[in-house]
Amino acid sequence: MIDIMQKQILVEDHIRKNKQATFLICIFMVLLLFSVIFAIGYVLGFPPIFATAIGLPITLVYIFITYSFSVQSVISAAGARPANPNNRDEKILIYKVEEMAIAAGLPTPKVYVQDSTDINAFATGKKPEGAIICATTGAIQKLNNEELEGVIGHEMSHIKNRDILVMTVTVGVVGAIALLSEIAIRSLFWGGGRGKKGEGNIILLVVLILSIILAPIFSRLTYFAISRKREYLADANGAYLTRNPEGLSKALEKIKADFPDDPKGSKTVAPLYIANPFKRSLRNSVWSTHPPIDERIKRLRAM
Amino acid sequence: MLIWIGIIVIIVVIVFALIYWGFYNRIIRLENRIDNSWAQIDVQLKRRADLIPNLMETVKGYMKHERETLESVTNARSALLKAQTPQQNIDADNMLSGALKTLFAVAENYPDLKANQNFLNLQDELAHTENKIAYSRQHFNDSVLAFNNTIETFPGNVFAKRMGKKERQMLQIPDADREVPKVSF
Repeated sequence: MIDIMQKQILVEDHIRKNKQATFLICIFMVLLLFSVIFAIGYVLGFPPIFATAIGLPITLVYIFITYSFSVQSVISAAGARPANPNNRDEKILIYKVEEMAIAAGLPTPKVYVQDSTDINAFATGKKPEGAIICATTGAIQKLNNEELEGVIGHEMSHIKNRDILVMTVTVGVVGAIALLSEIAIRSLFWGGGRGKKGEGNIILLVVLILSIILAPIFSRLTYFAISRKREYLADANGAYLTRNPEGLSKALEKIKADFPDDPKGSKTVAPLYIANPFKRSLRNSVWSTHPPIDERIKRLRAM
Repeated sequence: MLIWIGIIVIIVVIVFALIYWGFYNRIIRLENRIDNSWAQIDVQLKRRADLIPNLMETVKGYMKHERETLESVTNARSALLKAQTPQQNIDADNMLSGALKTLFAVAENYPDLKANQNFLNLQDELAHTENKIAYSRQHFNDSVLAFNNTIETFPGNVFAKRMGKKERQMLQIPDADREVPKVSF
């Protein structure tokens, strides 16, 4: 019992830090996006005030749109549909989501199903009210109740830790920055940069161009780092909800063994899943959205 | 000089007011969470009691020779409906869980019953309700733990004393239940 109490305090502490970090990361991502737009504007020859006057509204409107339509776009990118309570497997998925929501003290999320033979699941939404948990038909069929419960507990923790918001915003910003810098680099190569400046401005120009090139890499790396850390936290917190780390570790083992020959799904949504649908990285790399499955299993078993 | 002392005093007062404000809200919020999760347990217990008559109706025709088993379920249900205190509630609920377990075990001997769609649905739903009860108790205890941690550690204990808040009791969950509620479907 004392053991559980200490873990609870640790988990709560993590969640509080996680929520604070969520806010900072969102602001950081918005600033990053803005600076890229600003840099592009400047390189293209707009004076700083103009670049700000154009860049700031574009950034805010883009963030607003991403935020407003995030849930619909994730659901349609995954090709998910609402779970059917008349199908026994899907009914049990709904039951498990209800049970985990009670354990976490959260409103019950909507339950979606994605038709796919892979074992996977993800959570999305802006806040716990109106959040969505989606599991693949493969997960429902191949996992037993204990394992399914572990997976749903993991997803419920993403909702409880407010990971879903930061993931949604960063997915949007990372995508936008990648697109913008590609456009910028192309337009520079094809003789953009109309503003012919004096010698003194060349260094500034180089810095700006570098920032346009580096921003996508930088934003991605930040995102991956955040994402890996949050997966560990969701594993630990999910195991705390079910009081059964073994359920999730067995599910992860099945996921590892069941790697599909023909991975399906949308690359944009990939970081949201419990395990990366495109690769099962065995080593820890700065480019992975998820920590290696073996390491996750090891940490769960040590709980 | 006096102005500076005055400013420092004002700042200190404001900081204290903010800390008090934060802790006051936190303690009230955590206490409400306990009450709310207790209500949740109650809802689930009622839901379960409501499912029993349906189950009895379905099973009656098949299990004519299992009067004892059926009676123990009915008795446990009425004990649950009569329960007043939280502990009585939990005892009656444990009794009901035991009686249902026996009933579903006995049902294994009746292939006709096991093929009955209505029975299967009720079995799923009862297992689901049982899990929900276990998880709402767990959440109740989690809420009590968060509350107690806040009002017993510094500086929460100072504010809690002023607010007249006392440590809450956790539910005593029987050993068998403390394990994961692994009710198979």
